[in-house]
Amino acid sequence: MLKTQYLIVGGGIAGTTAAETIRQNDTNGIITIVSDEPHRLYSRIMLSKANFFLGKSPFDSVWMKTPEWYKENHIELILGKFAVACDTIKKSIELNDGTQIQFEKLLLSLGGHARKWPADNGEKTGIFYLRTLDDAKGAMVAIKKAKRAVCIGGGFTSFEMCDMLKLAGVETTVIIRESYFWQPVLDEPSGKIIEKAVESAGIKIIHESAVKKILGEKNVTGIQLENGDEIPCDMIIVGIGITTDCEWVEKSGISINRGVLANEYLETNIENIWTAGDCAKFNDLLLDEYILLGNWANAQNQGKIAGLNMVGKKQAFQMVSSFSSHGFGLHIAFTGDVRSENREVIKRGSPESNSYGRIIIDDHDEIVGATFINMAKDLIPTAKLIEKEIKVLSIRKQLEDANQDLSKI
Amino acid sequence: MKKGYNVNGIEHSFNLVIITFMAIKKFKVDRSLCIGASSCVVAAPSVYELDQEGIAVIKQKGNIKNSGSAEVKNLEDSSIDEKTLLEAAQSCPVKAILVYDENDNKIYP
Repeated sequence: MLKTQYLIVGGGIAGTTAAETIRQNDTNGIITIVSDEPHRLYSRIMLSKANFFLGKSPFDSVWMKTPEWYKENHIELILGKFAVACDTIKKSIELNDGTQIQFEKLLLSLGGHARKWPADNGEKTGIFYLRTLDDAKGAMVAIKKAKRAVCIGGGFTSFEMCDMLKLAGVETTVIIRESYFWQPVLDEPSGKIIEKAVESAGIKIIHESAVKKILGEKNVTGIQLENGDEIPCDMIIVGIGITTDCEWVEKSGISINRGVLANEYLETNIENIWTAGDCAKFNDLLLDEYILLGNWANAQNQGKIAGLNMVGKKQAFQMVSSFSSHGFGLHIAFTGDVRSENREVIKRGSPESNSYGRIIIDDHDEIVGATFINMAKDLIPTAKLIEKEIKVLSIRKQLEDANQDLSKI
Repeated sequence: MKKGYNVNGIEHSFNLVIITFMAIKKFKVDRSLCIGASSCVVAAPSVYELDQEGIAVIKQKGNIKNSGSAEVKNLEDSSIDEKTLLEAAQSCPVKAILVYDENDNKIYP
């Protein structure tokens, strides 16, 4: 049985930032990270950026830590293994190879796996997901030879991949189940602005459709849609979201609800066990609700806060996270909680002007989130308004006026 | 860096080696690469913030805020240590922060 003081399951940005934070505060405690990937920390964000994916910057630019960093900070890194069980009484984790690790404090920074595409039965080559570095490596080789590609899904992955496929000169078709791009996170006018830009670059989008059959013997040669239409292609890129494997966590008695449940200190229902990053369903103090967030800034900051709490520096997590994406001449940005169902939405600008924002209001008359297309200047001022929890009633006129500088409110 | 570690594996001694070894003179944010993930703000909140467009800027004396390059001696937070500065640069997921030494050699990335 291995013994460690701090055990971190998951070696992504949340887990690694937690380890770094723990070491800054506890120079002697033994820290162990277990990662199911065979790699040290790398930038998942870089995987879908043209500089990296199309080989403009060296492959090694993807790494965020050197092997020496782990040694220098005395962080034990166990690679290519994953946890299968947790005994919360004995305070131990069992790995897939039978290794037992006893811990004093545990962090579950499990991240997520690419959601499996039901049409993919694993029998054909040429199908790529873009969650991990190894996924990307395969796709990076394939894109060099590909003439035609199909992207499945209408979210960030497809948007960024379309841009790169276009740059690489690959003829591309996107297939989405929804009736417009990025539904339901964006409204239809926003989705249409994006589609117009994507289509004018020569990319075809097929709506409300799904793949019935993947064509080809061993390698993908095309797809057949449910309506019988066939589209030839030599690679398929799938981006339909992520899932977290929580089954073993739930069996151990840790509370789960689509993610690992945690309070605002990122502590689970079991003492000495914390969670952070894409797998954490935490009590968001600004929203007064438990939410799951899958973005880099959130994961990094949660890793830091979880690390502080693990060394006894009690601190609540509170952050309005934002992220943005460029492509096809568009700047698309999200901040805060962008779920708009049953919520009021104040619109800024207009879809016709290609500059269009949506500010999302909850039933306490406070701003909770926003989506902006080509309105970059509104992003951070809006994030600050979310933090301040100002009542919308008093500033509604300014919010509706696209010429109003939101930083002046 | 390895030199310090090989001579003495104890972490404190090693950190000391870093401080005398690295000598960061200036650094900057490449605005065309920055995606506003705010990693640098999380790592060094006294040095970085996001501007209105969500791009990282460096807080310098005299209320100057721009993407640099900024000299370490002109930072608003005069007590910031080099280890934190380097870690903030290393935390950027798109490697948009470039760090230089006294001879204008790029230390990172």
